[in-house]
Amino acid sequence: MAGEAVAAPARWSEGGAILSGVKHRRIRTPLTFLFLLLPVLVAAQGERPQAPPAAAGAGARATVALEGREIPVPVTINPSGPMFGLVPLVDALGGKLTSDEAGESFTLRVADKDVVLGPGNAIITVGDAIISVSQPPAPGEGGLQVPVDFLRKTYGDLLGYAFEWHPETNRLTIAQRETREMAVMLDVVHLQGMTTVVLQFPEEPRYQIDRQQPGAIVVQMLADRLTPPSPPKVVQDPLVQGVTIEPQQVRIQLVAGTQAESYILQNPFRLVFDIHPTSAVEGPAAPSAPGAEAPGVRTIVIDPGHGGAETGAIGPGGVQEKDLTLQLARELEAKLSQHLSVRVVLTRNEDSILGLSDRTAIANQNKADLFVSIHLNSSLGSGAYGTETYFLSPQATDPRAERSAAAENAAPAGGAPPAAGDAAAQQDLQLILWDLAQAHHMAESQRFANMIQGELNQTLQLKDRGVKQAPFRVLVGATMPAVLVELGFLSNPDEEKKLQDPAYRDQLVEALSRAIGRYKALVENKPEQPSAGQPAAPPQAAPGRPAAPPSAPAAPPAKPPAKMGAVAVGAPLRGRPGGTGRPHRAAPTATSQRIGRPA
Amino acid sequence: MSRRAASFILGFALALLVGGGLWWWLSGRLHRGFGASGQEAAGQEGERVAFNLYFPGAGGGLQAEARELQVTGAPKDRIRKLVDALLAGPQTKGLARPFPEDVALGSVQLSRDGVAYVDLRWPDHQDPPPGGSTEEIQRVYSIVDSVALNVPEAKQVALLWNGVQRETLSGHLDLTRPFVPDRAPAQAVPAASR
Repeated sequence: MAGEAVAAPARWSEGGAILSGVKHRRIRTPLTFLFLLLPVLVAAQGERPQAPPAAAGAGARATVALEGREIPVPVTINPSGPMFGLVPLVDALGGKLTSDEAGESFTLRVADKDVVLGPGNAIITVGDAIISVSQPPAPGEGGLQVPVDFLRKTYGDLLGYAFEWHPETNRLTIAQRETREMAVMLDVVHLQGMTTVVLQFPEEPRYQIDRQQPGAIVVQMLADRLTPPSPPKVVQDPLVQGVTIEPQQVRIQLVAGTQAESYILQNPFRLVFDIHPTSAVEGPAAPSAPGAEAPGVRTIVIDPGHGGAETGAIGPGGVQEKDLTLQLARELEAKLSQHLSVRVVLTRNEDSILGLSDRTAIANQNKADLFVSIHLNSSLGSGAYGTETYFLSPQATDPRAERSAAAENAAPAGGAPPAAGDAAAQQDLQLILWDLAQAHHMAESQRFANMIQGELNQTLQLKDRGVKQAPFRVLVGATMPAVLVELGFLSNPDEEKKLQDPAYRDQLVEALSRAIGRYKALVENKPEQPSAGQPAAPPQAAPGRPAAPPSAPAAPPAKPPAKMGAVAVGAPLRGRPGGTGRPHRAAPTATSQRIGRPA
Repeated sequence: MSRRAASFILGFALALLVGGGLWWWLSGRLHRGFGASGQEAAGQEGERVAFNLYFPGAGGGLQAEARELQVTGAPKDRIRKLVDALLAGPQTKGLARPFPEDVALGSVQLSRDGVAYVDLRWPDHQDPPPGGSTEEIQRVYSIVDSVALNVPEAKQVALLWNGVQRETLSGHLDLTRPFVPDRAPAQAVPAASR
């Protein structure tokens, strides 16, 4: 009988037959039970999570062939393709790789452009361009490991290298692409005290801009040769002494006392230099070196709302929000570069669609100190006009997150750590999801929003629609003070018309610039600097503080902007689950009214 | 195994099947409550109940319009009637229709924890109408307030578009989570607190 019992579970399909052969009732009953239990156990086993397979080839080395040299480079072969250690490649190809202290953001300086990347994020920025790579960079041997398309989109596009991966021999060949000959067209226009130099190319050249040479800007070709225009263009301009075009470089010789800003236009590719006399009123001194611990506003990300197929609001005259937001963002970038010592990054610089999470990802990756999303409004019904500034209405329904946000908002002046009793909330901050990151900056976002609204009111005497809160997706996940500013209603025919007037837009941009300058001064504990030709607006009271008189230095910040990296920085910015099922709810601050508060 | 034993097992299995089915049916009936069934049956013709519908008004806000709608006692039926009436547009001069004319209610679900899922359909259009943030706030909260302030069983409202939960309706409000009602969406933070 024992032998029969052992034989029983031999084959599934024969179970019934085997059982039928078991005569003894005491044995048959448990065997029946076992047969019934077996499929359940098998199914349960099938549902048990399997350990992910280890990345094949981790710790292996590939041979990189570059100009006759062979360099061993750590490689990890993933199912999506190989990942190469970046440090030895940077050593071989040139450039400078730096990272922040937390190792969450890396900057690769190549050909006068910053490539910003972070582990776990498949979006990188190359200069102003936002690029998606096939695999997110990952920490590993050889520093950060990157896929081959990362190399093509950086060293390939910027320096003219061609990368070819041969999996069968575990070999990466790097060759200098053939030098392109390209004709360049030159145009110089002087208008309203400013000279614009335009270099037009048939396609984007591989170049870098050298600003180190005194009194000149040099556009150095890296892997292309220029065909100068024939006959050479003679430049007679009050701000530009001359423009020399040679196969290897373009040299723009400036008149003393001038400065230049450059930007790019596409289709066709144009490199544009705006040259103007150095402003008599300079902004505050240059910020301290990156990495310094002093609070400051060094990098500002400006987000022109909508883009591409997402038009945003459309006015009765056909003006589309996406076009005006881009125009305003570019104008604000120029204004800020002119008056403040800050680095300005635009989330988009062309008419292209860009995801809302990607916009904050750009700000986070660039370690921005401020995030300003520029929008234009529209309404159903009549009579809406004016400007308004939003900061995020938190979606903190998790009680822990609410306590954390409450502790943040209730933080005492002077940046002191939260009071005892908030320790638990602070600890909880480490646990909240990345999309609650903005809750950590609510107080500063509100303060910054107040400054913007105050400047808009004072400068333009527009209808003050106030500072508001809403669960706006683009503000979620920003790990710095972040606001969305609505600069007028396109649905209002009068405002639509005004917004097309460059002089009116300049006033809007001036107001935004001044608010940013005031916030920067406040954070850096410096007296506020007026913008060129504009009086300084009286300082606005920080929440819970009396307003300082206009002549007095700005009050110290109630709390310096919290450092990034507490919770959200470096967390995956893509592919996270969408809805968590938690409702939008009121912020825990006692004084705010906002969308989503309980009825 | 003898034929008798096999018949016994088969009979037992059949009895188990029939008993299980009966239990499932009865438990469903008990859960809904026989009274509720009777109420639904009795309320097929319904009654006229006063509601407030929230339409976009002047200045970018929402304004309540009092309505009497023929509804039954079933929460889902009330939500359907409310959204249908809202989409049909206001009767008061000066108020606006929140969505284009051919936007219609697709389906309504009401979860046990009080989230009403309202699916709006716009034939021949993949994306919702474009608009600014105020327009989007007016659209979303016209639905949220009209549902959640009138139907106590619906404490929160999640909005779906053509059967899909979108990130936003037109680039602003986060639609990935349900909303609680707000009679005055986008009201300014009081100046005193600024």
